[in-house]
Amino acid sequence: MKHWMFSCEEVSQKVSQSMDVRLPFHHRMAIRTHLLMCRYCARFRRQLNLLRKMSRHDDSGILTPDSPSQLPQESRERIKKSLRNLP
Amino acid sequence: MDVVSTINTDTWVDQHGDALFRFAFFRTRDHVIAEDLVQETFLAALQSKERFKGQSSEKTWLFSILKHKIIDHFRKNKPDRFRNQISQDDHSTKTYFNSTGGWRIHPGDWRTDPGKAQEIKEFLDHFYRCLAALPKRNADAFVYREIDGLNTEEICKLLGITATNCWVILYRARMLLRRCLELAGFNPPNEGLPK
Repeated sequence: MKHWMFSCEEVSQKVSQSMDVRLPFHHRMAIRTHLLMCRYCARFRRQLNLLRKMSRHDDSGILTPDSPSQLPQESRERIKKSLRNLP
Repeated sequence: MDVVSTINTDTWVDQHGDALFRFAFFRTRDHVIAEDLVQETFLAALQSKERFKGQSSEKTWLFSILKHKIIDHFRKNKPDRFRNQISQDDHSTKTYFNSTGGWRIHPGDWRTDPGKAQEIKEFLDHFYRCLAALPKRNADAFVYREIDGLNTEEICKLLGITATNCWVILYRARMLLRRCLELAGFNPPNEGLPK
């Protein structure tokens, strides 16, 4: 599938690059046009955004029924001791 | 101002221990491993305290160390099915495209946008294993960029590469990672097959 000036392969590269650097205006426009017409590239971009979101996700405050909520007392003491003994 | 040298390690463990432990358990599903990772994180933090210059919060800094430890942990494990999945047919990103640059393996419709705790848990379960299954260079670049939030210039310096090279490595990391997640089940069975 080829839309405008970029192929899907090129768009996938540009979409990835756009997450790391600001692309020139005409590239951004070409990508946007392509994404409107190509659901696979649109999915690809959504998935890359999800990867970023989950990489930075902080769930340390989320509790699930099968997860412990606290560091067990015993290991807490063990860790404290090991830190104190550090030269 | 040296923030860390004034730290009382006992208070430190009390303050951040639970959150770090939950985070590690969420991903490893193993009490003992999670505890070990938390301990290693505190030790590494103390040993590298002069590198912490107070640019980020203490909590962010500790979590960044823990995340690297978790990935190391998965990487040290024997090659599991994730690594096999990636290595079999995904050596080159060319695998995904045909000669005219169209998708050969179509990105699937993941449907899930993990929002609930259970969905996030499932996603992250696979996420860290897939990340650990990536070639080390790609995984490192991805972790620096997405988890640590460094910019490409900083990553280039750390890995000793050019900016262009850095984008190529990150692109490959993202391609492999999303493919691995897809193979792990974030895809309806009939989609994504080569056509």
